[in-house]
Amino acid sequence: MQNFSFYSPASLEDALIYLSDHAETCKIIAGGTDLIPNLRDEKLHPRHMLNVLELEELGGISEIENTIRIGPTTTFAELIETALINRFLPLLVKSSSQVGGPQIRNRGTIGGNICTGSPAADVLPAVIALDGELELRSKKNGTRRIAASEAVQAPYNPNLGPDELLTGIFIHKLKPGTRCAYEKVATRNAMARAFMNLSIVLQRDEEGVISDVRIVPGAMMAFARRITVAEEVLAGKKPDEFLIAKAAETLLGDLKGVWIPDYKIPVFRNIFKRLLGELLSESCRNKERVYAD
Amino acid sequence: MKKRGIGIGSMYYGLGYGYSRPDIASATIELCEDGSLIVRTGAVDFGQGSDTLFCQIVAEELGVAPDDIQIVTPDTATTPDAGPTSASRVAYVGGNAVLNATLALKQTLHGVAESILGEKNLVFINREVRAETSGKWISFTDLARACHLRGAQIVETGWFNNTTDDVDPYTAQGDAYATYCWATQLAEVEVDTETGKVEVLRVVAAHDVGRALNPSMVEAQIEGGVVMGIGYALTEEIKQKKGYTPKISLGEYMIPTSLDVPSIESCIVEIPVSTGPYGAKGVGEPALIPTAPAILNAICDAIGIRITELPANPRNLHRLIQEKGKKTMGPEN
Repeated sequence: MQNFSFYSPASLEDALIYLSDHAETCKIIAGGTDLIPNLRDEKLHPRHMLNVLELEELGGISEIENTIRIGPTTTFAELIETALINRFLPLLVKSSSQVGGPQIRNRGTIGGNICTGSPAADVLPAVIALDGELELRSKKNGTRRIAASEAVQAPYNPNLGPDELLTGIFIHKLKPGTRCAYEKVATRNAMARAFMNLSIVLQRDEEGVISDVRIVPGAMMAFARRITVAEEVLAGKKPDEFLIAKAAETLLGDLKGVWIPDYKIPVFRNIFKRLLGELLSESCRNKERVYAD
Repeated sequence: MKKRGIGIGSMYYGLGYGYSRPDIASATIELCEDGSLIVRTGAVDFGQGSDTLFCQIVAEELGVAPDDIQIVTPDTATTPDAGPTSASRVAYVGGNAVLNATLALKQTLHGVAESILGEKNLVFINREVRAETSGKWISFTDLARACHLRGAQIVETGWFNNTTDDVDPYTAQGDAYATYCWATQLAEVEVDTETGKVEVLRVVAAHDVGRALNPSMVEAQIEGGVVMGIGYALTEEIKQKKGYTPKISLGEYMIPTSLDVPSIESCIVEIPVSTGPYGAKGVGEPALIPTAPAILNAICDAIGIRITELPANPRNLHRLIQEKGKKTMGPEN
């Protein structure tokens, strides 16, 4: 094992001071599900380690009017078990339940899933599809907020300053009638790295016209992002088979640098059509639902 | 689209090493003054339960409880060689060695009990040795003490040689193994043709084990074997680089998780073999052999594709599905 100084601060203020003092040589640890294997394999050599798991300010799930705040040290198991998340953000339940196995879900945190910046993250694409916002804090610059979609724009390289800490994830409760779907494709049913995952959030008005849609593939490209060109094909229209097919083709046109494209591109087209078909079908009432409409 | 299919896989398996290769096991048994027993053998129990089996054999023969028996785990300083735990041979070869040691000790005990009770037809049951006709009896503990006081042979060695004849070197004909295990498994699968992912929905496994000395352990071995067979068929793969196996962890080498394993129904078939301990054969390796063929036949039943290269993981299977689509629908589609 490597040598480093390990600091468990008593308050958020202490954490930010420590991070500011050791910005370039410090790693932040919460659940450690990615960090510990990387240390073991000597891929990282931090001189300082800041343990944020015990900071009360970084935990908990709360409701602020139409917004839900999720503390970054909330574990995947906690997300799956929390009634508020099940009721208003079921996409997070579905994506979190795809992370590793029970031991990893008991330990791993949503903040870690975002800040690790893995292209194959299971939950970050869902947070982007839910239009989440991230609250970042540093000693020098105080508090700022960025969209979840801006958090990772290069693999394993989150857009956080070296002295910045993720302190909150804010997601609007989905509007009544909004439906969402998530699917992960992997070699086996648990403890597997995703070949791909897909998060879709979709809302239709009373006439069935798509009023809002967000499509976020994960594990396809260097980082997860919305495929706005495909969203534009769907938005404002009444969907049918041809529209879905057109959206699928547009979507594929916007996927660049896909790893193993011979497998991923055709399978992704299938998954996209399948999920969208499920979301738009009338029998969807038994599927992933948000909210009573 | 999700398509279902059912497949069948059958096998026979030569138990032990066969082909005249040395296949030998030894064991010793020691009778202690308090009536407890110590069995020493080099057979390795790495979880399959052979220690339990040896205990059962001794308890069965001498009419004592499994609690009375101590099994000394393999130790080259103190235990005789029983050969490797491989070839599904431990219950059969090692079990026979333990049985032979136990029978030798039983003969001594019988003689001492005869002289004490003055009776000839004795049964060993419930920690007692009892005369069948008169009902006279002596407790196993008292008999053990008597053996020690009289200087009887209290340590015995058992040996079993499973070395067979070889086949004819010119024609390769002949009976290469002492006995054979038989099994048939059925698998039901669901193939997601859009992703290439195969879900095994159900496996039924019928195994002729000769005699199931411990049925729940036989079931556990069958279930474990089926899980290995599922991994072999669908997920497990080692890719070598220039002849070397790269450092690989269980994070990358995909064995099935509990969420990948369906309900497994074991059917234990018992056709005792005269040469095995109480008619038992083996089940360790046979349990995994028919699983992959059954799964691949089920995939073929579901989507009409014959798989000739493993693993049938989503990526490989999806490629085959696409190739088949091109052949039947023409390149345009």
